[in-house]
Amino acid sequence: MEESGVNVINLNQCDEEFIKYLEKFGAHSLKECIQCGKCASTCPMALAGLDFYIKRIIHAATLGLKEILLEDSSVWGCQSCNRCVEVCPMDIKPYEIIQAVRRAAVRDESCPANTYEGLRNLYKNGHAVFPKGFEERRKKVGLPEKPPTLTSHEELKKKFQEILKQTSLADVAPFKLD
Amino acid sequence: MKQVGLFLGCNIPFNRPDVEYSARYILSELETNAVDLEGASCCPAFGTMPSIDIEAWAAASAWNLVLADEKGIDLVTGCGSCYGSLNEAKHHMGQHPELIEKINQIYAKVGKEYKGTAKVSNFINFIYEDVGLEKIKQKVKVNLNGLKCAVQTGCHNLWPSEAYPTSEDNTFQPKRLREICEAMGGSAPNYSAITDCCGMGALRSNASDKSLALFKKKLDMIKEELDPDICVIGCSSCLMQFDAGQALLIEQKKLNYQIPSLHIIQLIALALGADIDKLTAFTKVPLDGAINKIKGGN
Ligand code: SF4
Ligand code: SF4
Repeated sequence: MEESGVNVINLNQCDEEFIKYLEKFGAHSLKECIQCGKCASTCPMALAGLDFYIKRIIHAATLGLKEILLEDSSVWGCQSCNRCVEVCPMDIKPYEIIQAVRRAAVRDESCPANTYEGLRNLYKNGHAVFPKGFEERRKKVGLPEKPPTLTSHEELKKKFQEILKQTSLADVAPFKLD
Repeated sequence: MKQVGLFLGCNIPFNRPDVEYSARYILSELETNAVDLEGASCCPAFGTMPSIDIEAWAAASAWNLVLADEKGIDLVTGCGSCYGSLNEAKHHMGQHPELIEKINQIYAKVGKEYKGTAKVSNFINFIYEDVGLEKIKQKVKVNLNGLKCAVQTGCHNLWPSEAYPTSEDNTFQPKRLREICEAMGGSAPNYSAITDCCGMGALRSNASDKSLALFKKKLDMIKEELDPDICVIGCSSCLMQFDAGQALLIEQKKLNYQIPSLHIIQLIALALGADIDKLTAFTKVPLDGAINKIKGGN
């Protein structure tokens, strides 16, 4: 996206099929958006200065602008805070539209690399955040080296992995679910 | 004895075990048995399974909800994302019986079943509703002596309100965390940026400079309006921004003041007499000023 000036939208790029695709992933009342901007007035992405923020994302989604939506990584900066859901006067649940775009993007392999890192950690260790050196940190406050989570339970972890294998993670993960 | 399942998540047990130490300490002081959720996983974090599809999200969250169902307990967590992800997944399943059906087809393969009986709380609501402020007042050993607190509830602890079992009267003017600080002898005034985002989370991972600038804007407003002794935080992710993020801004010479920051779990542990070195073991912004104030200095 351009930083300033008028962005001319080429309506030839509109992709009705893509709108349906987004609906499949949870973007329900997309067409009801009145572009009032209330979501953007409270959205941390917008307030932090991301150019392509929630109202514009919704706008692009209502027009089915697939290329723009999949190429721009702003949706991955969404905080999942749901402020937009709370304030939208049309009950559109803008956050769910962000999620739908993300869901389309992971199937197009156009998500940031750290998304895969989180998924890999989740699958392999049961925790998306799995920083090194935790054993020492835990010992320092008198806790057992490993927390009583999947970190301490290999057998249960196998079952957890069995569950994940039954989901679409199996289709989108760029690593082997073994 | 009352009991509650302690849902740890990732950041608390791995990055900030001082908060886990504090949580275990306060639950024991409040005569509540902290049941370990053996084999719990990540909630899952919003950038992972929730970003694949609803079913993948529900399947992963259900792992933890089923563990609680099996033990017949409710859960409490100190992480806003865990509170959000688990409750939102539960809410989606509650609204769509066909989703529960799919999840249970998957769970049948490992001999488990999702029932959705466990309530998921955060520490703010747990202290406010299940423990009660009166009990906190009775249990205080170290009065906060007027310590001025700037509170940060954290967005996932507030929204989407429709997915949560309980809520503030007005989520855009949260009062519960303020009242908890006051019950321990602190003061916790309102301020204009009270519900502003701290910038931690996906924004920090994907646009670090913009995230820290957003945080600085909030901290500047806190400094200008309240000039508090401490920031008191309701979410472990916000805590990492307020503490380690603040230390980073200072190191980068982008901040010329500092405000120590503790999770509400740590502050309660302090007031209930926990070991101060342990409860603040991984705090980066020094707490000396706040501790002096509690001990009777200015
Ligand atoms: S608040 Fe709702 S209706 Fe208004 S611009 Fe945002 S999504 Fe559209
Ligand atoms: S959920 Fe995402 S899009 Fe909605 S207000 Fe929060 S950061 Fe913005």
